Amino acid sequence: MAARKISPVEATQTCLDRIARLDGRIHAFITVDAEGALATARALEDELAAGRSRGPLHGVPLAYKDLCHVPGLPTSCGTKTREYFTSPIECTAVARLRAAGAVTLGKLNMTELAMGPFGDNAHHGDVQNPWKSGHCSGGSSSGSGAAVAAGFALGTLGSDTGGSIRLPAACCGIVGLKPTYGRVSRAGVMPLSWSMDHLGPLTRTVADAALLLEVVAGYDPHDATSSRRGVPYYQRMLESPIGGLRVGIPENFFFDGITPDMDTAVRAAAEVLAGLGALVSPIHVPDPRTLTDIGNVISRSESAALHARLARDRPHELQPAVRTRLEIGFHISAHDYLQALRLRSRLAREFIAEVFAEVDALVVPVIPEPAPALETAKAGSVDDVVTRMGRFSRLTRPFNTLGLPALTLPCGFSSDRRPLALQIVGRAFDEATTLRLGHAYQQATAWHHEGPPL
Amino acid sequence: MSDPEKQVSADVAGLAAAIERMAADLAIGEEPAGFVLALEGDAKTEEPRD
Repeated sequence: MAARKISPVEATQTCLDRIARLDGRIHAFITVDAEGALATARALEDELAAGRSRGPLHGVPLAYKDLCHVPGLPTSCGTKTREYFTSPIECTAVARLRAAGAVTLGKLNMTELAMGPFGDNAHHGDVQNPWKSGHCSGGSSSGSGAAVAAGFALGTLGSDTGGSIRLPAACCGIVGLKPTYGRVSRAGVMPLSWSMDHLGPLTRTVADAALLLEVVAGYDPHDATSSRRGVPYYQRMLESPIGGLRVGIPENFFFDGITPDMDTAVRAAAEVLAGLGALVSPIHVPDPRTLTDIGNVISRSESAALHARLARDRPHELQPAVRTRLEIGFHISAHDYLQALRLRSRLAREFIAEVFAEVDALVVPVIPEPAPALETAKAGSVDDVVTRMGRFSRLTRPFNTLGLPALTLPCGFSSDRRPLALQIVGRAFDEATTLRLGHAYQQATAWHHEGPPL
Repeated sequence: MSDPEKQVSADVAGLAAAIERMAADLAIGEEPAGFVLALEGDAKTEEPRD
C-alpha cells in the first residue's frame, strides 16, 4: 500500500469480491458493510494522494468478530437477536485499528454467545473450514479464523475465553494470539466472562499478528482490567535471534491422547526451534486439569450472570448445548465461585514460579486432533456435545485461567490436508518472546504460505 | 428430572467437589486480586515504548 502497488480501494474491492464469490459456502460473515468499507477506503486513498499515511495499516481491510461494538453495524453475538449487544462506546480495539488506517469490511460469524469450540451456528450458518468443507472451522471466533484463511480479510479480531481465538486459528491453519489478561482492552466487546475474556488478532503471519497487537494493546480507561504496563514495539523485536531461549515441552497432560499426526508435527516444530538455537527440553508442569476446573467454575458463573435475561426469558432461542452450559452457571454457589477465584490466584502464582524458573516458553498442541467433521462434532445428545466441547478445548483452557499469552500457528497438515498447529505460551506480558519464537519458526518453514483450495 | 437437568446437576456437583478438594488448604489471606498481582509481578520484559 505504501509503495502504491495496490490502493486502499483496490484492496478493499478485491476482498469484497472474494467475499461475494465465496462466502455463500463458508459463512464467515454475518454482516458485510461493502458501502462503508469502500467509502472509508476512498477517504484513505485521498489521504495517501495528499501525502499522508497513517502507517502500515493504512487502507488494510480487516473484519471483526460480531461481538465487537462498531457504530452503525448490528452486533448479534451469534444469537438470533440482530442487535443483542450494544455499548455506549465503540470497541476500543476496533477504534484503534480504524485510527491506524484499517478499513472495516464487516462483522464475523461466531458461535452463539461465544460458547463453543466447533464454529457451528444454527442462526447464521455453520462456518465451514476453508481447507475442508463439512469440517469445523473451530470456535468461537469461527468467522475470524475462516475469513483470514479464505483470504476475505488481511486480519481479524477474535475473543478468547477458553480457546476461542486459538481453536479457529488452529483449525483454519492461520496465526492466532491470545494476549496476556489485561494486555488488550475489552471495552465495547460483549463479555462472556470478565475474569477470563481476552481479545486478540488472527492473521496469516506472526509478523502481521505483531503489527495488530502493537496497535490494539495498552491501557484503556474504559476497561478497568486493562494493564497500565507499556507496550513494546513488537515488530522491531521479531528479528531478535532466538538462540538461548529455553523452550519446554511438557511431559504431562498436553500430549496425552492427541492424534499421532498432531503429536509428530508439534514435536517436529520444537525441533525446528532447536535447530535455530533454542534450548528445548522436557518439563513437568502443574496439573492443567485443576486449572480447567477452576476456570470452568469462574466462566460458567460469570456467563450465567451476564446472559441471565436471555437464558431465563428466551431459552428456546438458544442452541441446546449453549443453554445447558449457561444453565450450569445458575447452580454454582457463590462460595464455590469465590473459592475458585482465590484458587486461581494461588495456582497462577505457583505455575508461573515453577514453570518460568525453568523455561522462557512452552510449546504444546492447540487441538487434540485436526478439525473434526461438523456432523461428528454435533452428533448425539446435549451431554455428548458438551463433553466433546470440553475435550476439544482442553489444551487451551488452562491458559485462560492462567491469563498467560499464547500464540497459535500452523505446523503442517494431516494426510487429508487439515491443518495441524502448535501453541507457544509465554510469561505474563511477554508476548514478545512468543512472537519472536513464532516468527523465527515461520521464517524457517513455509506452512503459512499455503492457502486452502477454494 | 430430564436428561439435560441431570447433566447440569452432575456437572455442578463435579465442579463443586473439585473446588472443595482444592480449596481445603487455601490461606486466609488469599484474595482474588492476587491473580493480577501474579501476572504483573511476573513480567520481566524490557518495554521501551512508553
